[in-house]
Amino acid sequence: MERGGWALIFWQIRARKWIMILAIVSGICWMSAAVSVPLLVQGAIDRGILGHHQGALVKWTMAILAVGLAQGAFVGLRRYLAFLVSYKVEADLRNRLFGHLQRLHFAFHDRTQTGQLMSRAASDLTQIQNFVVLIPLTLANILILVSVVSVLFIENWFLAILALMVLPLIPILARRFSGRVFPASLSLQRELGHLAEIVEETLSGIRVIKGFGTENLQDAKLRGSSQKVYQSALEAGRIRAFFTPLLTFLPIIGLVLVVYAGGHEVLNGTILLGQLTAFLLYVNLLVAPLQLPAWVIGQGQRAVASAQRVMELLRTDSMIVDPPNPQRLPRESAGEIEFSGVTFFYDRELARNGGGGHQESSKPVLDNFNLRVEAGSSIALVGPTGCGKSTVARLISRFYDVASGTITIDGLDITQVALKDLRSSVGIVFEDTFLFSDTVRANIAFADPRAPLDLVISAASQAGIDEFIRSLDDGYDTVIGERGFSLSGGQRQRLALARAILSNPRILILDDATSAVDPSKEQEILRAMSQVMEGRTTIIIAHRPSTIALAEQVAFMDKGRVLAQGTHQQLLEDVAQYRDLLISRVETK
Amino acid sequence: MTDSGRTRVLVPLSEYKGRLLVLLALVIGWSATLIVGPALVAYAIDQGIRKHHGGPIFIATAGYVASALVGASLFRLVIRKVTDTGERVLQGIRISIFQHILSMPLGFFDSERTGRLVSRMTTDMDALENLVQQGLVQLVSNAFLLTITLIVLAVMSPILFGLCLLTIPVLLTASIWFKRRSAVAYLSVRDAIGRTMTSLQEGLSGVRVVQAFASEDYVVRGFKGHNRAQVLANMRAVSISARYFPVIEASSVATTAGIVGLGGYLAHRHMIPLGTVVAFVLYMGNLFSPIQQTSQQFDLLQSAGAAFTKLKNLLSIEPPLVEVAKPTDLPRHGAVVFSDVSFGYSLDSPVLTDINLEIRPGEHVALVGPTGAGKSSIAKLIARFYDPLSGEVSFGGIDLRQASFESLRKTIVVVSQEAFVFDGTISSNIRMGNNDIPDDQVKRALEAVGGTQVILGITGGIHAVVSEGGATLSAGEKQIISLARVALVEPSVIILDEATSNLDPMTESIVEGAVSRLAQGRTLVTIAHRLSTAQRADRVIVVDHGQVVQVGSHDELVKIPGHYQDLNSAWLRGRDSA
Repeated sequence: MERGGWALIFWQIRARKWIMILAIVSGICWMSAAVSVPLLVQGAIDRGILGHHQGALVKWTMAILAVGLAQGAFVGLRRYLAFLVSYKVEADLRNRLFGHLQRLHFAFHDRTQTGQLMSRAASDLTQIQNFVVLIPLTLANILILVSVVSVLFIENWFLAILALMVLPLIPILARRFSGRVFPASLSLQRELGHLAEIVEETLSGIRVIKGFGTENLQDAKLRGSSQKVYQSALEAGRIRAFFTPLLTFLPIIGLVLVVYAGGHEVLNGTILLGQLTAFLLYVNLLVAPLQLPAWVIGQGQRAVASAQRVMELLRTDSMIVDPPNPQRLPRESAGEIEFSGVTFFYDRELARNGGGGHQESSKPVLDNFNLRVEAGSSIALVGPTGCGKSTVARLISRFYDVASGTITIDGLDITQVALKDLRSSVGIVFEDTFLFSDTVRANIAFADPRAPLDLVISAASQAGIDEFIRSLDDGYDTVIGERGFSLSGGQRQRLALARAILSNPRILILDDATSAVDPSKEQEILRAMSQVMEGRTTIIIAHRPSTIALAEQVAFMDKGRVLAQGTHQQLLEDVAQYRDLLISRVETK
Repeated sequence: MTDSGRTRVLVPLSEYKGRLLVLLALVIGWSATLIVGPALVAYAIDQGIRKHHGGPIFIATAGYVASALVGASLFRLVIRKVTDTGERVLQGIRISIFQHILSMPLGFFDSERTGRLVSRMTTDMDALENLVQQGLVQLVSNAFLLTITLIVLAVMSPILFGLCLLTIPVLLTASIWFKRRSAVAYLSVRDAIGRTMTSLQEGLSGVRVVQAFASEDYVVRGFKGHNRAQVLANMRAVSISARYFPVIEASSVATTAGIVGLGGYLAHRHMIPLGTVVAFVLYMGNLFSPIQQTSQQFDLLQSAGAAFTKLKNLLSIEPPLVEVAKPTDLPRHGAVVFSDVSFGYSLDSPVLTDINLEIRPGEHVALVGPTGAGKSSIAKLIARFYDPLSGEVSFGGIDLRQASFESLRKTIVVVSQEAFVFDGTISSNIRMGNNDIPDDQVKRALEAVGGTQVILGITGGIHAVVSEGGATLSAGEKQIISLARVALVEPSVIILDEATSNLDPMTESIVEGAVSRLAQGRTLVTIAHRLSTAQRADRVIVVDHGQVVQVGSHDELVKIPGHYQDLNSAWLRGRDSA
C-alpha cells in the first residue's frame, strides 16, 4: 500500500535528479564548513592564545573567516536548489494530475466532489513538496551527526561519552513530540474546518437569514464552534509546552557534564581549554540534526499518505476511451442520429458511493429507448423531471456508455469514432452554464482558441449577445467570472449558446438553454436559436411551450421511453398527459 | 463612533492587560535564564581553570543546571500563556468579525463577494492562527533573548561588544532589503497560487464543458502555464531568502572569527579574561539564531500582518442600519406606506425616486417591471434591509426606522424562490436552527403550506439529514421547506421573490398551492416574473426607471395602453407560440 506512494515520490524526484544531486552536494559542502568551525576555534585558542603565538592567532582567525564565507555561500545554494527541486516535483505532479483528471469520464466526476480533487492537487501535493524540500538538509544533517560524533570520539572519548550520553533521548522525545502534536494540530484543523463551514453556510444563506432575522442563532453557532477551536488550539499548545522545554533542556545536561568533567581535565592538563570550547560548540551543533529526523519522519509519512492518494487518482483509468481503430465521421456527414434499444443506468457507477439522491437507484434511466432524428431536422424532448431527457443528450457525446443497445450518427456506432472527432461534431449548451474566468472572447472561442475575432463576433451576434458585449467597457476582452464582470443567468446562457455556435457542430443540443432568460428577452433568443438550428440536427430539451415550438417534432418521454412522437399540435390534441404537463405551466389557476 | 457608542477595535488591549503583564514577566525571567549559561562557563574558566580551583567549576555547573531547570519550567509557562492569550485574542476577533458581518445590510453582500468574506474568516484568521500556534512564542522570546544578550555582552566586555556592533549595519541593511523584497515576492506568490487554484478549480468543475468541446489540450496547456508561473514566483521568493540567509550565517561566523582574533589578542595582553572570549563565542548562538529564526518566520509574520489589516478594514466599515435606542414594537396588522421615498445604493445614482404607495393589510400585490427598474429595491425597503435616502417607509403608522428589530423580523418576512438549504435536518432547516421550537410546531407549519405529504415522502421525514445546497432534495421539496419557515414565523407581511428561472410544472403547482395557502389573510408582495402571478394579484404595481408608473388590477391595466399592456403582450406571445 505504502509502496505506491514512495514509488511515486521516487520517480518524480528521479525526473529532476540533477537538481537534487546538486542540492545534496551543496548540503554536504555546507555541512563540512559548519563542522570545521569549532575545530578552527579550538586551534585559535590553543595554538594562538594559549600558545602566545600572534601569527598563529591571525592565521586561525582568517581560516574561520574564510570558512564562514563558504558556509554562507553553500547555505544559500542548498536552500535555493532544495526549493527548486521540490517546487519542480510539485508542479510536475500537479500537471500530470490535472491532465489525467481532465480526461477522466463523466461518471467519475459525478461521484467525486470537486473539493476532494482540489485537496488532492493542493494540500496533498504541498505535503509532498514539504517532504522533498527537506531531503538535502536531512542528508547533510545525518553527515553532520556522523562526522561530529567521530570527531568528538577521536579528540577525547571520555568527554565524548559524557557529551553524547543524554543526546540519544532527543530523537526519541522529538519523535513522541511529533507523534502527539500532529494529531492535535489535525484536530485543530478539523475544528477550523467546522468553523469555516458555519461561516460559508451563513454567507451563502445570508438572504434567508436576513429574511427571517435569525442572525443571533448563527452567531451562537459560531461562538460554540470558536470555543472548540480555542480548546483544541490550547491542547496543541499544551503538548508543545511539555516537549519544547524538555528538548532544549536535554542538550544542556551534555554541556554541563562537559564543563564539569572537561574543566577538571583542563585543570589536570589532560586537555587544552580550546578543546573544551570546541566540545561545547559541538554539543550545540548537534541539537538541530538530532531533532530533525523526527520531523522528517513525520513529514515523510504524511507525504507518502498524500502520494498514495494521488497515486490512486492517477491509477483510475478513464472508462470512456478512444476505440483501438477509430473510424472517422464522414466529412460531409449530415448528422442523422439513431438510438436503438438503448438501456442506460447511472447507478452502476453511482450506487457504489450512494450518490444520485434518494431516487430509486436500480431503475434504468433509459429503458429500451428508441429514437431517430433525421439529418438536419429538429426534435424537442419533453417530459417530467427525471424522465431521461438530459441523459439522451449526454449519451450522444458519449459522456457515458450505454448498458445495451447502440447509438449511431450517420449509421456509424459512436463507440467506433474517436472522441475528439465525435465531440467536435456535437455542440451542447448545458442546463447549468459553466463559464471560465477568462475574457468573453476566450469563453466563446473555447472549442477553437485560435478562432479569428470576426468568427467570435458572428457567433455572439447569432446568439443575440453581441450588442451587450460591445456595451461592456472592454468589449470582447472583458474578463468575466469570479474575478471579473458578473453576468446574469440569461446572459450566461446566451454566451454558452455562442460558444456552441462557434464550434460549428453538425449536431446541436440545447439542454434547457433558455430557462434563465428574462421573458422580455425570450423572443429575441428564440429567433436567434431558430437561425442557429438551420441546417443542423438539433435536439431541444425544454419546458416552455414557446421553446418547444421551435422544433419540428416533439418526442414526449416518460420513465426512460418515448411515449408519443409528433408535432407539438398533434401531441396537444392527441395525448392527454402531454396536455396536462404543458397546461399546468401556462394556466396556473 | 456608532449610535450605541461602541467603538470597534479588533483587539481590545485593556481586556488583556493583566495577562500581558504576567506574560512579560515570564518572558523576561525565561530569557534571563538563557544567558546565565555562557556567563557561568566564563566564570568556571577564569576563576576555576585558570586559577586552578575546583570549587568555581562545581559552582558553575550546579548553577548552570539550576538555571536550566528554572528556564525550562519558565519556558513551559511562557508557551502556555502565549498560546492561551493568543487564542483568546483570536476567539475575540472571530466573534466580533462574524457579528460585524452579520450586522451588515444585504447590499453589502451583493457588492462584497461571498468568497471574499469567507476568506476573511478562514484564510485570514488561519494566518493569525498559524502565527499564534507556530511562531508567536519564538518571536516574542527571540526579541527578548536578543535584547538581553546584547546588554550582557556590553557589560562583560565593551570592546568585544563593539566588535559585534560592527555587524549591525550589515545585518540591518540585509534585513531591511530582505523584508522589502520578500514582502513583494510573497504577494506575487499568493497571487500565483490563487491563479493556479482558480484554474484548477475551474478545470475541475467545468470538466464536462471541457470534454463536451474536446478542449482538454487547450485547458491543460493553460493550467501548465499557471503552474509554471507559480514555480517561478516561488523561486523568486526563495532566491531572496537564499541571498539573505548566507549573509546572516557568514556574519555569524565572521563575528566569531573577529572575537577569537581580537579577544585572543586582548587576552594575550591580559586586558580581558580568556573566559570572556569563550563566553562571547558561545553567546554568538544567542545573538544570530534569533535573527535567523525571525527571518525564517517572516512569511508567517507578513501574512499575519496582511490578514490583520484586512480584518481591521472590514471591521471599520460602519453598518448603516442600527436599532434605535428606544425601539417601538410594530403592531400585528397594518398598511405598508411609502411616503415620498427616494432611495439609492449610493447618493449619486438613485434607484427609486419619490415613491408614494399604500399596500393595505391583507392585500396581494405584484411588483412587475424590467430588470433593474427597482422592484426588488421596493421589496427590500419594506423589509428594512435598507433605509430610504429621503421619505419614510412605515408599517401600521410606525416608521420602520423606529421599529425594534425583533418585531420587524416577526412581522415582515422575505422569502426567495431560490430556496436555500442549510446543513442539518429538514426540521432544523424549517426552524432555522432555533432548537426551542418543538417538532409539533414544525409539523403544523408544514401542514399550513400543504407540504406534509411531500416531506413525509422522504425517508426520515422531517428528521431526514440534508446537506448544504440540498443536493438530495428536489426543487419542490426545497420550496416547501423554504415556505414552511415562513409559516412558522406567522408574519403579517410576506415578500416573495419569484424565481426567474423556470421550475418544472409539477413543482410549480406545488409551490403555488403553498403560497396561496400561506398568503391567506396576510399581505403578500410578490416580485413577479410571470403573467399568472400578476393575474392573481389584487393589484399590479408597475415599476420602471425607479418610479411607479402604473397601479391597478391586471384586468384594468391590460385595457390601458402603457408598460403593462406591452409586457402582457410579450408574455402572451410566449404563451401563444405554445
